[in-house]
Amino acid sequence: MNRIRKMVTASIAALTTVTLLAACGGTSGSTAQESKPSSITIWTYESADSAMGIAWKKAMTDFTAKTGIKVNYELKSFEQLNANASQVLNSSSAPDVMEYNKGNATAGVLASQGLLANLNKYVKQYGWNKIITGNLATTGKYSDKGVMGSGNWYGITSYGEDVFMYYNKSMFTKYGIAIPTTFDQLETALAAFKAKGVTPLSEAAQEYPLGQLWWQLFLMKATESQINAYQMYTGDVNWNSAAMKFATNTINDWVAKGYISKNSTGMKAQDAGDSFTNGTNPMFFSGTWWFGTFESQLKNKFEWTTATFPGAERVPGSSGNIWVIPSNSKKQDAAAEFIDYTLQPDIQTLMGNSGGVPINADLDKITDAKNQELLKQYKTVLNGDMLGYYPDWPTSTMYDDMNSALQNLVNGTTDTSQFLSTLKTKYDKGVEAAGVK
Amino acid sequence: MSRIPGNPSRRFFIYLVPGIAMLIWIVVIPTVWNIYLSFTQYRGIRPPIWIGLENWKSLLHDHTFWVSFGNSIWMILAMVVIPIVIGLLLSSLIFDVIQKKFGARMASTLRAVYYIPQILPIAVASLAMGWILKPQEGVVNELLKAVGLGALQQNWLGSPRTALIMLMLIMIWIQLGYPVVIFLSGLQRVDPELYEAASLDGAGWYQRFRVITLPAITPEIFVVALTCTIAALKVFAPVYMLTTGGPGDSTMVPSYYSYSQFFQTQQVGYGAAISTALAVVIIIVAIVFTRIQQNSEQKSEE
Amino acid sequence: MTSVGIKTRDAIRRPRKHRSGGEWAILALLIVGGLIMLFPLLVILLNAFKSATDYATNGPLGFPREFSLKGIQTFWNATEFPWRIWTSVWTSGLVAAFAVVLSSLSAYALGIGRVKGRSWIVLLIMLANMMPQEALLYPLYMMFKSIGLYDSDWAIVIIFTVLQSAFGTYLLSSVYGTFPKAILEAATIDGASRWQIFHKVVLPVSRPTLSVLLVFFFVWTWNEYMIPNAFLISSRTQTVPIALSTLSGQNMMDATTTAGASLISIVPTLIFFLIFQKTLARGITVGSVK
Repeated sequence: MNRIRKMVTASIAALTTVTLLAACGGTSGSTAQESKPSSITIWTYESADSAMGIAWKKAMTDFTAKTGIKVNYELKSFEQLNANASQVLNSSSAPDVMEYNKGNATAGVLASQGLLANLNKYVKQYGWNKIITGNLATTGKYSDKGVMGSGNWYGITSYGEDVFMYYNKSMFTKYGIAIPTTFDQLETALAAFKAKGVTPLSEAAQEYPLGQLWWQLFLMKATESQINAYQMYTGDVNWNSAAMKFATNTINDWVAKGYISKNSTGMKAQDAGDSFTNGTNPMFFSGTWWFGTFESQLKNKFEWTTATFPGAERVPGSSGNIWVIPSNSKKQDAAAEFIDYTLQPDIQTLMGNSGGVPINADLDKITDAKNQELLKQYKTVLNGDMLGYYPDWPTSTMYDDMNSALQNLVNGTTDTSQFLSTLKTKYDKGVEAAGVK
Repeated sequence: MSRIPGNPSRRFFIYLVPGIAMLIWIVVIPTVWNIYLSFTQYRGIRPPIWIGLENWKSLLHDHTFWVSFGNSIWMILAMVVIPIVIGLLLSSLIFDVIQKKFGARMASTLRAVYYIPQILPIAVASLAMGWILKPQEGVVNELLKAVGLGALQQNWLGSPRTALIMLMLIMIWIQLGYPVVIFLSGLQRVDPELYEAASLDGAGWYQRFRVITLPAITPEIFVVALTCTIAALKVFAPVYMLTTGGPGDSTMVPSYYSYSQFFQTQQVGYGAAISTALAVVIIIVAIVFTRIQQNSEQKSEE
Repeated sequence: MTSVGIKTRDAIRRPRKHRSGGEWAILALLIVGGLIMLFPLLVILLNAFKSATDYATNGPLGFPREFSLKGIQTFWNATEFPWRIWTSVWTSGLVAAFAVVLSSLSAYALGIGRVKGRSWIVLLIMLANMMPQEALLYPLYMMFKSIGLYDSDWAIVIIFTVLQSAFGTYLLSSVYGTFPKAILEAATIDGASRWQIFHKVVLPVSRPTLSVLLVFFFVWTWNEYMIPNAFLISSRTQTVPIALSTLSGQNMMDATTTAGASLISIVPTLIFFLIFQKTLARGITVGSVK
């Protein structure tokens, strides 16, 4: 019996040692650098025909042409990177530069674990902080605990994004309804469509769209300190505030009145996008990332337009995804040089002309009227400091928690107070687990 | 004593060496390691911190954890019980009726058709089913509309009333081919003359099924039941691809729950506790099965 | 020596008049069931050759207005599809071969050798088959990283050889447990050693079972999802299903591409399956002595 116990103890001890040894990677931050690399590896997860995909591809070509450094490019999916990021970055298979989601639960976690290279010296060298300012910079800097908004630079964005209303103009005209500019007008328009037997809003609760609508409604009534408490843990979140109740009750009310279909609980973002493009629903509240796709898909189908959510002074949105350089990369200088290429005015202008939201483009060279409209809208948002981030950022489970709570809300299995108390529990648990407070 | 006369059993140990060595490396060591991790606070990068029974205590009060195991029981119904019952019926019909009256080609075609969902990559199967069940412009709802039953349209995977049932139907669809193929191959052992004789004695299809078919493929039924039960407890990809455990927790299963802890929350220690608990349940099930099988073998030997 | 397979077409020729109405009804029932089983595949087929606009306009049930290969092309180019197929083929093939060898060696010791404590050993081997994969993931990741096999297809080959052979050993042990004693005795009288009996008698006689296992292992490994998803990070190492899941990621938003991708991801397995149809027909059973 004693022998067995000794064996077990010994093997656990051995295993622990191995674990400790294996866990030592990634925190050193002093990876030996190659002086003249012949190639760098880049990973992104934007599809090739999106504005970012088009612009970055051009940046890669330019980069190779000018520096002679080859680019090994790989297209990933966000899910895949999200699930494996910490393992990949902690191994020798890490790329030299990759696109990653911004926010505490994603880039923040990786930065706090020492997996991302500190980019301060490159920011100074290339002067990136002159392009990336204000709200856009928030998502590039992370504290030791992985909280955004202060500390060292770990991520560099090359574009912007926000969430607004897409309107099917042809349908508004057909039913003789005016495109709303205030919140009351919006509710009137919703009711008018419903009266004509049309479900006005295209929504999805399996993925992000409904969560972003909830957050938009919260932003309508929330104060700055309430937003910061939620996003940056600067105080206790009041889950019974007027803003929280307004957002939840409004969703409830809109479902009850049939403005939002109960079917949304079985829909993914793509399905909601499809419902807008095939004319099922005249309104779709979602982000800039659809813009290019809609431009090509809706060309000869119907007239459409975009506008900030009626009556909103803040909107969901932030910088776009960020470039990060893994600590394990041996080619950080070359990687930083590539990042700089993506911020050059010509590349940025190409992005703007492809329906993206550049942050350093030559606005005179943006030719298409639709694209100009989009950029103007984003400029207004930036200048007005209107970006209000996203609801799923505070903890790593918030995205799933938010969606499943909203599904229950739409399905009627929970009411407003249960919804808020569920979110409170999950939020507190997540924040505690992350050790950020 | 081995089954080869004059060769003592211990002489055969050498044949076990490669299998056991690989097993220790790929399964035993990681399992022990994972059990150790379940007693730690570990986020996958910095070294694990020993916290004793904390994770296990949280599990006991974790509502989602218990719901996920409850759903496992439904998965066993969908992946074991129903496919075996339908599979028995199908395989004996194909063997005893189709093959005899409509020829072997028809029989093997039907077998192939029922087996096809089994060979689909699960990623593809889930994707296709996701479409078919979409609430808007989904195939099922469009079909219902087309035949004038628009009122029956459902939000199949998005409503807690139907999501689990749909997931079960998808699993039945995927699993059904497995028992059919295994049972049919087991039936090849049966001497066709037995059936002939039984038919001449005036035994109907059901009597032939009960007296000849069922006893003949009892070992296969055990194999299928055990392997499918384990598969049902481990079911992951369809949930991951179709519902991510939602709406709410209504389709949460243990495997997906631990996966989400491992990778989405980076709570490796807690994920390790969930997967260890799942492993324990699976092992208990397996031991019970093996006992039953041994008993029935002894009975048949007597 | 071989088992009785499903007889060739001309073996069982029955005069038609024996088919009763009930039997026709059974046939009809089985065919309807078969159509239900194939239905999702037909939906994929219907959408794989549509243009994105067409899909958005007419939904998944509409008949394609124009023939478009764009969806398939997008996927083909994005994943360098021929290489993905090749990766899947050689990893699944090696796993199938290795796992069959490993299972038959172990099963020989357990089922025919009847080594002491064999029921415990079988249970231990079943452990491999039973452990939830995610419970092995972190430790495996650590181990394979330390030997430089993280993000390598060889990691997949090694891991699945062990996991699949667990099932194989379990099944073969019970099959070999009922191996005809007369054959073994005859071989002993001829003076064959244990090794000779294994590869000259046991393996050939159990070939039908081994080939069925081979097919199962191949298909199972081909379709594996979780561990390859965690281990095969670079595009050059990815198998077909992982390349497919890359596509259904958050920012790849195109239903027809996904349909096209699904279609060409199914084709290789389908071809393989049709080739080995006959193998599956032979039973998981060792030929009886005649």
